[in-house]
Amino acid sequence: MSEASSELRRPLVDGNKSPAAVTEDICRPLEGRAGALWWIAFVIAASVLAVGVAAVAYLFATGVGVWGLNRTVGWGFDITNFVFWVGIGHAGTLISAVLFLFRQRWRTAVNRSAEAMTIFAVMCAGLFPLIHMGRPWLAFFVFPYPNTRGPLWINFRSALCWDVFAISTYFLISLGFWYIGLVPDLATLRDRAASKLKRALCGFFSLGWNGSTRTWLRYETVYLLLAGLATPLVFSVHTIVSMDFATSVIPGWHTTIFPPYFVSGAIFSGLAMVLTLMLIARKTMHLEDYITTRHVSAMCKLIIATGGIVATAYGTEFFIAWYSGNDYELFVFLNRALGPYAWAYWTMVSCNVLVPQLFWFKAVRGNLMLVWVLSIFINIGMWFERFVIIVTSLHRDFLPSSWTYYVPTKIEIATLVGSFGLFFSLFLIFCRFLPVVAIAEIKGVLSFGRSSKTGGEA
Amino acid sequence: MSQGSKGYWTSPDRRGAADGGVSPASGEFSVMSVGDLPALPRRDFLRLAGFAVGATSLIGCSRGKEREVAPYLVAPEEVVPGRAYWYATVCGACPAGCGVLAKALDGRPVKLEGNPQHPLSAGGMCPIGQASVLSLYDSQRLLAPLRDGNASDWPSVDAELSAAFERLAQGSGRVRFLVDSTTGPTERKAIERFLARFSDARMVTYDPISLSAIADAHQETHGLRALPRFRLERAEVIVSLGADFLGGWISPVEHTKAYQAGRRLDRHEGDFSQHIQLESRMSLSGSNADRRISIPPGTSATILAHLVDRVARHAGTAPPWQALPAAPIEGRLIEDLARALLSAHRGHAVVLCGDNDSDAQRLTNCLNEMLGGYDSGHGRALIDLARPSRQRIGSDADLLTLMTELEEGAVDALVVRGANPVFDLPFGPVFAERLRNLSLVVSIGERVDETAQHAHFVCPEPHFLESWGDSEPAAGVVALRQPVLRSMGATRPLLESLAAWRGERRSARDQIRDRWFAEVYRGARDAAGFEAFWNQTLHDGCAESEATDELAGEFRKSALSPSPSAAPDAPALPAELVAEVYSSPQVLDGRHGHNPWLLELPDPIAKTTWSNCAALAPATARSLGVATGDELEIEADGGAKLLLPVVVQPGQHVSAVSVALGWGRAGTERFAGVGPQWLEGEATVAPGERVGTNAAPLMVAGTDGIAYSGLRVKVRATGVKRSLATTQRHHTLFVPAGLARAGHERRPIVRETTLGELRHAVHGAAEHTHHEHPSLYAEHPKSPHHWGMAIDLSRCTGCSACVVSCQAENNIPVVGRDEVFRSREMHWMRIDRYYSGDGDEVEVVHMPMLCQHCDNAPCENVCPVQATVQSAEGLNQQVYNRCVGTRYCANNCPYKVRRFNWFDYPRQDRLQNLVLNPDVTVRSRGVMEKCSLCVQRIQEAKAAAKIAGKALDDGDITPACGQSCPAGAIVFGDMNDPESRLSRLKQDPRHYAVLDELGIKPVVGYLAKVRNRTEPVGTVNHV
Repeated sequence: MSEASSELRRPLVDGNKSPAAVTEDICRPLEGRAGALWWIAFVIAASVLAVGVAAVAYLFATGVGVWGLNRTVGWGFDITNFVFWVGIGHAGTLISAVLFLFRQRWRTAVNRSAEAMTIFAVMCAGLFPLIHMGRPWLAFFVFPYPNTRGPLWINFRSALCWDVFAISTYFLISLGFWYIGLVPDLATLRDRAASKLKRALCGFFSLGWNGSTRTWLRYETVYLLLAGLATPLVFSVHTIVSMDFATSVIPGWHTTIFPPYFVSGAIFSGLAMVLTLMLIARKTMHLEDYITTRHVSAMCKLIIATGGIVATAYGTEFFIAWYSGNDYELFVFLNRALGPYAWAYWTMVSCNVLVPQLFWFKAVRGNLMLVWVLSIFINIGMWFERFVIIVTSLHRDFLPSSWTYYVPTKIEIATLVGSFGLFFSLFLIFCRFLPVVAIAEIKGVLSFGRSSKTGGEA
Repeated sequence: MSQGSKGYWTSPDRRGAADGGVSPASGEFSVMSVGDLPALPRRDFLRLAGFAVGATSLIGCSRGKEREVAPYLVAPEEVVPGRAYWYATVCGACPAGCGVLAKALDGRPVKLEGNPQHPLSAGGMCPIGQASVLSLYDSQRLLAPLRDGNASDWPSVDAELSAAFERLAQGSGRVRFLVDSTTGPTERKAIERFLARFSDARMVTYDPISLSAIADAHQETHGLRALPRFRLERAEVIVSLGADFLGGWISPVEHTKAYQAGRRLDRHEGDFSQHIQLESRMSLSGSNADRRISIPPGTSATILAHLVDRVARHAGTAPPWQALPAAPIEGRLIEDLARALLSAHRGHAVVLCGDNDSDAQRLTNCLNEMLGGYDSGHGRALIDLARPSRQRIGSDADLLTLMTELEEGAVDALVVRGANPVFDLPFGPVFAERLRNLSLVVSIGERVDETAQHAHFVCPEPHFLESWGDSEPAAGVVALRQPVLRSMGATRPLLESLAAWRGERRSARDQIRDRWFAEVYRGARDAAGFEAFWNQTLHDGCAESEATDELAGEFRKSALSPSPSAAPDAPALPAELVAEVYSSPQVLDGRHGHNPWLLELPDPIAKTTWSNCAALAPATARSLGVATGDELEIEADGGAKLLLPVVVQPGQHVSAVSVALGWGRAGTERFAGVGPQWLEGEATVAPGERVGTNAAPLMVAGTDGIAYSGLRVKVRATGVKRSLATTQRHHTLFVPAGLARAGHERRPIVRETTLGELRHAVHGAAEHTHHEHPSLYAEHPKSPHHWGMAIDLSRCTGCSACVVSCQAENNIPVVGRDEVFRSREMHWMRIDRYYSGDGDEVEVVHMPMLCQHCDNAPCENVCPVQATVQSAEGLNQQVYNRCVGTRYCANNCPYKVRRFNWFDYPRQDRLQNLVLNPDVTVRSRGVMEKCSLCVQRIQEAKAAAKIAGKALDDGDITPACGQSCPAGAIVFGDMNDPESRLSRLKQDPRHYAVLDELGIKPVVGYLAKVRNRTEPVGTVNHV
């Protein structure tokens, strides 16, 4: 079979695959026994998760004091990790919903796994607000449920309450969107299933998919509607997360720039995480034909754009701190850059501002190993961004008598590492049991049958 | 109508019935038999049954653990459970003898407060006194007598001791009774009576922190061995050479009261005294001085000689000496001091000297004589020798004689009471050695201390809250101590023990009554009159006795040494330094070394906890290459080596290393388990160590007394890093260089002014405008009250009494060294201490910081569960059972006054749970807490006013911090009442709110610090 060619643009899938070949390519890894590589990866991820579980169990048994927080710095790794993971989740929805609405059809290669990543990241994120509570067993107090205490309602003025709604809505919509997208593929798996159990499960979850035109029509309508619903969430969730800080009075938090700054930062970090994962999946699951260098390149360009916004935000913060004439505000920013946490600040700047500049070069974008390494740097940088915002604003605020320094404990580090264990465990399970590329969708962008050379079956 | 048929009606409805009509209410109490019950439908029955089963199982799920609660078998008639009873008594925490009111709830004392009627302490208390109630519940107090270290009982101990004393009385009779100044007058009398039967017996009084030289010097200069009472309220100028009269010198509460009474802004100019402090370490008094000059240690005598000379020249009299040794400080400063002293009206300037050196004290007396301090012309004298203080009556000479006698074997028996010479004397180990040669050593005290370990008999005494006693803190002032609860064990007061060993059986109360009837009571000599006097004194806690004035002689110039001594040579810095030791602001001389509240109380200056430290000047620390927290080895010439963590102390003289006494008590290993035990948590006391290090080896035992400074020591950095727990890490209001635009480094948190500026300018209020912020929300009216507070930074001395008072009142846990090291101390009230300047002239401000109860509180709107809310009366309330512990409120608090329960912080000593205030919830793990402005006291006062049917008066409510403040710096009140003291303070031009510009409307305000200077503020070079 020869290459399909287009005058205007290169095809989105290489190898001039037939629909049957696509189904075969994507479903084959899910059938049969898992490979050694998967098992090794899974055992590592699950072990790391176990460490995190142990750390959280110890935390619950003992108290929040097992973290390095103090009277001045009330949030450290906990909320840093929360914002980091929420941010990671953003690219998934961006790719699946926003790009869908904008008819960016290249997204089909990565949207499934990006959405899965979103869901797992939000699950990781959701853990932290729960475990950071002094009395997590009373976490249900944050929900407005009917009660006999007056009734006593939650504080609707608190950004933390908005957070509860924002995150749970985001999680539910993302999950729904992901699941609806999965329905045709689940039907494919059902039809290919060798075991009874798998057939029954896939049959149940594919909602009686029969491939009729009516089914397709309903499916596409729902999908479009959900895409429309999910799109504002991309912006609202991190806006509200940013309000966790912006509605305070603490210099360095109390900033109107936060919503756009956080949203672009979230997309920035999300794209980096998608790249990190995608490049591994591409290699290990032999999806080179579906996730092409052009996809990687497009995402690199998006990273340059969002990274540019983030860098502008860093600059704006400094400018406004100086321009406002507020001594406390200026101090916070000078203290970030030159104070005891300067190392964290400059780590953040190097990773988030300098590293993305390398993506201007085509040679860098083409070198996937390098792209992968750089994407990890961006992940690190974005984690530090949240750390810098949270900890450096708190550790030296208004009264110098209360200034302290925050150092995480082993338990906190174990919890952070454990959250990665959870994420990767879930992701590996997903790779093992569900198609990582949307089979039904990618068939729509195949060049198969469009080339004059392949004959005129269409 | 006849009387018998008169119809009374019980309600208007029944009136008709009484009149013979039919009452509509007649069915109200109609009897219903079981058979009358309506038939219960099956569904209703099931519904009710289901509810009952469900409710029962839900009740079974309650979180509380069931405990046995035993009611009184016979309820005491006068005790109402839950109601506080107050007893006036005398604090026994130190020899100062302040009057206290003990609050007893359900039969146990839970809080001490100052007795406002006491003529000396006048309602104030110090942190040590506040904490002493906790010692009552110390499970390691000795509760039964010991014989050679083994448990015994009173009958056998009494039998043996009576026989032993009888033998001694028949034999050589060389008995010595060693006591300290806490011993009351009746006890001293009883001891004298007890000793009368021995042929060679003597009572020796000594003070671990001795002021013997002052009395000795007065013996020589005025012919009267007495410690004068310093009436600082009468002073216009106070020059203190190392006397920490606000911190630990003689009677800090009394001095603080008097000092602040002499520094009032509401009257004319002369009423604000000027205070100049010369010292080599940074003391609490130095931190409050209008001017502070750091001097080389051990040079007071030379400076005083120069001052005598200078004042004499100014006064036009002949200076006592022809030639003077070189002055250790600049002549300009001595001239300044002389001018300052002479600027006061005659008799209104005083020089205080803290050195226990009779040479320096004689010079002080000479100077005070020249300044007219002893004149009792108008009213009473500033230095009252006619009605002297009896707070320190020890004599170093007696102690040294005893030491010699012990060495010579001239003593057979020693009874030690309330003193711990083995621990607190520089020759403690030698003393312990000598005790072995005695045939009988009896220790009478509350615990098995270092000295009691060497005793044949240890006779436990009750805590001062369990015992009868009396005190005479100054001639003419007598006070009664009464028990607040029965002794918790088989302890016995000294008076009863002495009686028992004489073969008598007479209670301490009766013995005190006997003496008071004979010696104190001056009224009609009948039982009824005395009974009334006794009851009144018990009620008031104190009484004035008609003491006759002591007769002091004319000043004898001849007492001065013919030539003033020269200042010692400067040590070879930095490896050689001069040591200075002082009474600890936390544990005093060590007698409170087992009190966890005090061990965790931040040092008022260094803000260190759970250890004493070696304070070094910044320059000295730099040249030794050490920083705060590094370990320093101090080697005294005797070879004793002390290992202490360094504190870099601005204001310290470069040649001085100062260490607090009283730390490192035996048995403090017990505190290892204080605080949470977890993976990374460190023990409060490392294995094999104690809480702090005993600095007694750094004292100097001379021929005529004990000196607390002057010892040459070698210092060396060991290179070990100690995790020194401090509550403050940044010590100035200035942000680090380069982190603020030039000229804006100082944070405007504390406002300062000078007396000159305040008197002459229209007030510096122009630059400090009140910030008004528009709000989208309608203001919530606060009614009927709007509580608030004003704290006068000029009055606050930083003594920290409020910190402990708050801890006692509000059940604040002790968290241990490691938690403090992690900046997790729980104190609701803290005192921020800021330095400005560097080198010799350092300025200090103390700023009490507590929840500011903002009307527009940033903590409230961020809490997702409404666990912190505004009350209708303007309090910012924390609802513990609603709190889930997100800590956002603490993050968003600009004052960082919120405290989080990182762990469960149980009391390590479970007996100490008895000190818990039942009116305040004990918080559990995971809950935020903070100052409530003592809401329980507000509610109590409101309830009392309601029952009494009257309106609340201004001053009815005093929070714990304000109550104990000896300086009267904290005023609580109702801002809705325009006549309240608080409302008037809020109108004071000095009043400001910290961080008002945030628009959070704090109701706690501050009054700017005033320093008595003529030059405007800010002339000190800030570094």
